[in-house]
Amino acid sequence: MSFSPNTLLRALRTSKASSRTRVSFPQPLFYRQLHASSRLDVVKPFLLADIGEGITECQLIQWFVQPGARVEQFDKLCEVQSDKASVEITSPFDGVIKKLHYEPDDMAITGKPLVDIDIQSEISGADAEKLGGVDGNEDAGAEKDQAEESVRHDEKLAEVASEVDVAYSEAMTKGSQGQARQHRPRQGREDKGSLATPAVRHLLKETHVDVADVQGTGRDGRVLKEDVHRHVSEQTQQPVAHQPSRAATRQDKNAPLTPVQTQMFKTMTRSLDIPHFLYTCAADMGAITALRKRLNASATSGEQKLTHLPFILKAVSLALQHHPLLNSSLDTKDPKKPEITYRGAHNFGVAIDAPSGLLVPVVHSVQDLSIVEIATQLRQLSDKARNSKLAPTDFSGATFTISNIGSVGGGVVAPVITAPQVAILGVGRSKLVPAFDENEELVKKEELVLSWSADHRIVDGAECARCAERVRAFLEEPGRMMVEMR
Amino acid sequence: MIVWNRACRSARLSTRPPNPRRCLSQRTLDRLAEPVQSYISTSRDPYLNLSIEHFLLQKSAPHSAILLLYVNRPSIIIGRNQNPWLEVNLALLNPSGHGQPETEPPGLGAVDLVRRRSGGGTVFHDEGNVNWTVICPSKDFTRDKHAEMIVRALRSCSVDRARVNERHDIVLDQGERGADIDSRETHRTPYMMAEADGIRPLKVSGSAYKLTRQRALHHGTCLLSSPNLNIIPDYLHSPAKPYMTARGVESVSSPVGNILLDNETFIVAVQKHFTKLYGTTEDAIKVGDEWREHDPVRKGEDELKAGDTHSKFI
Repeated sequence: MSFSPNTLLRALRTSKASSRTRVSFPQPLFYRQLHASSRLDVVKPFLLADIGEGITECQLIQWFVQPGARVEQFDKLCEVQSDKASVEITSPFDGVIKKLHYEPDDMAITGKPLVDIDIQSEISGADAEKLGGVDGNEDAGAEKDQAEESVRHDEKLAEVASEVDVAYSEAMTKGSQGQARQHRPRQGREDKGSLATPAVRHLLKETHVDVADVQGTGRDGRVLKEDVHRHVSEQTQQPVAHQPSRAATRQDKNAPLTPVQTQMFKTMTRSLDIPHFLYTCAADMGAITALRKRLNASATSGEQKLTHLPFILKAVSLALQHHPLLNSSLDTKDPKKPEITYRGAHNFGVAIDAPSGLLVPVVHSVQDLSIVEIATQLRQLSDKARNSKLAPTDFSGATFTISNIGSVGGGVVAPVITAPQVAILGVGRSKLVPAFDENEELVKKEELVLSWSADHRIVDGAECARCAERVRAFLEEPGRMMVEMR
Repeated sequence: MIVWNRACRSARLSTRPPNPRRCLSQRTLDRLAEPVQSYISTSRDPYLNLSIEHFLLQKSAPHSAILLLYVNRPSIIIGRNQNPWLEVNLALLNPSGHGQPETEPPGLGAVDLVRRRSGGGTVFHDEGNVNWTVICPSKDFTRDKHAEMIVRALRSCSVDRARVNERHDIVLDQGERGADIDSRETHRTPYMMAEADGIRPLKVSGSAYKLTRQRALHHGTCLLSSPNLNIIPDYLHSPAKPYMTARGVESVSSPVGNILLDNETFIVAVQKHFTKLYGTTEDAIKVGDEWREHDPVRKGEDELKAGDTHSKFI
């Protein structure tokens, strides 16, 4: 049986007390001067080591310790499972458990902290690699697998003394196979061919120094602890680079999808099946704008002011009376036998930009509503959306959708159809453009771009174009709408 | 080790004789310290066999290598962290509880459902399936090492089509014989076909592992002559699966086949190749119901039986 790590470290402590001269040990166990790291009385996260087989995460099955529990070296911490292997993880240190980073059944990620331990034993350089930085620095995790292997070569002491007390077979096998690859350049941010032992890398992390900046004076240009200390003292005479804070803001951040995003994701993924085509036309909104101005001037309260959107909704509804195909639903449950259902009611989904994201509540039976009633409904829906008071019934039953992105901006847009509808209208922002009137004179026109998308499996370009032109005609001459209204 | 044994023996001699109902014979405990041990179980009880396996993992000497072979009565063994609702057709397990006549297909009667302590997927055990377990020091362990040993054992019984695949399972290639390959090459056979050609190899053995600090346990099945191949899919297909999302490891299912060897031949071959790999040992030690008398084994068995209450939900 080889020495236990505790006896070795005790031997070291006594020999260190005598002098700083080279400590000699019987060959062939140790062939290198040992830089004994200082005792750490600080809480450090213990990272989940690489299990091999390219496995990046494994499921935590059970904990054997709780926060506050005192553990000794080799005590069981937890059991994790990855595909076929159930692995018990033991503590490499004596100490007190401070924090568990996962609940049972969570997926633990290799290279990320598993538990926080208040370490109360001496740790070697090898063990230092298993820890993250105190400030939660996770660089160690990124290079964990390479660091594990290089630890085996560089710190023979740890390999023999602690009997490689990692329970991960693959890492060890790779380590023994990689004997010849002693100074393989390490990947990750520190890979610029700079050589440094794990103990030195730990010091580099603590002092926030990039290994590439330090001039190595050891064998093969290796960076030693003295080099790091020298570099730090030099740096303090110069303005310190603000690397840590900038690095912190450039970190990636994983986030789950919000409920609205999840719904949007599901709906739009279904829409991927629809072959869209885009038809745009520009309507002259002069007449509608003039009409609105007159009506709003005599409106008694602000509540009754009309925007152009109710006019557009009514115009589309009247046009759909002539082109019912665009108000239909397509049923593709049986891909061999698709079915169209011509919907009787015109239920228009109106896209609203709510604080929580895109919402599409529905104005029901637009064909039976007057423009004023449509305006009232729109106002109610947007109030409810702003106060998050929309009910599920407000979202159901849409047969056609109108998206007024013009409230934000935009000219030509390519809106995405929501299944099972077959068409959608995107309304841009009206703007003043120069144009020619009947006398070929330059005049100002207020132009609004209407962008139609339709499902080309059902609707052909000409049909969509005819409907679009009809709507344009209604908007450019509101009188036409009036004569068609019931 | 030897010092410990002597001390233990003298301690026992100086105190009253051990209660025969409470522990195994001294000889058995001594044998746990031997560098190479080979066991074979006479019991068909899956709870007992898994409990003995776990006892051997925990109590054997850290540098020893152990082989255990056992056969279970019809039972389904699910992995450490799997969800039985997703993996198993629970309704088929206890037909008598349903008012379903026991003669109706599948007609196997009551089938046990046991959760083992290693990871991996769900497997069906019956008398045509021999289970093998190797326990060795963690330092020496790789996922392929013992799978290759089993393949060598199979090849020595003229099963040329067997090889170890990328998932460390043992499969039988189904293609036509092509160019000759060195028979010591355990990851390829002359019968291999490209994936694109359509016929997948048949899986005959799946593995699972449990790794502790010092010891690694690798166990696997081996389908030799199961009469139930055609009903295994019924048991291992859960009707609830399309309607549930759950945590837990999912099984990776593969088409299975029989090697068509009898149990005895396989057992002898595996024991022989185990001794070739690790060194000579005495004849395989029989283990069985008498081990139930040993406290840790009985406690382990009770844990396995009590662990899952899903069968009581039916």
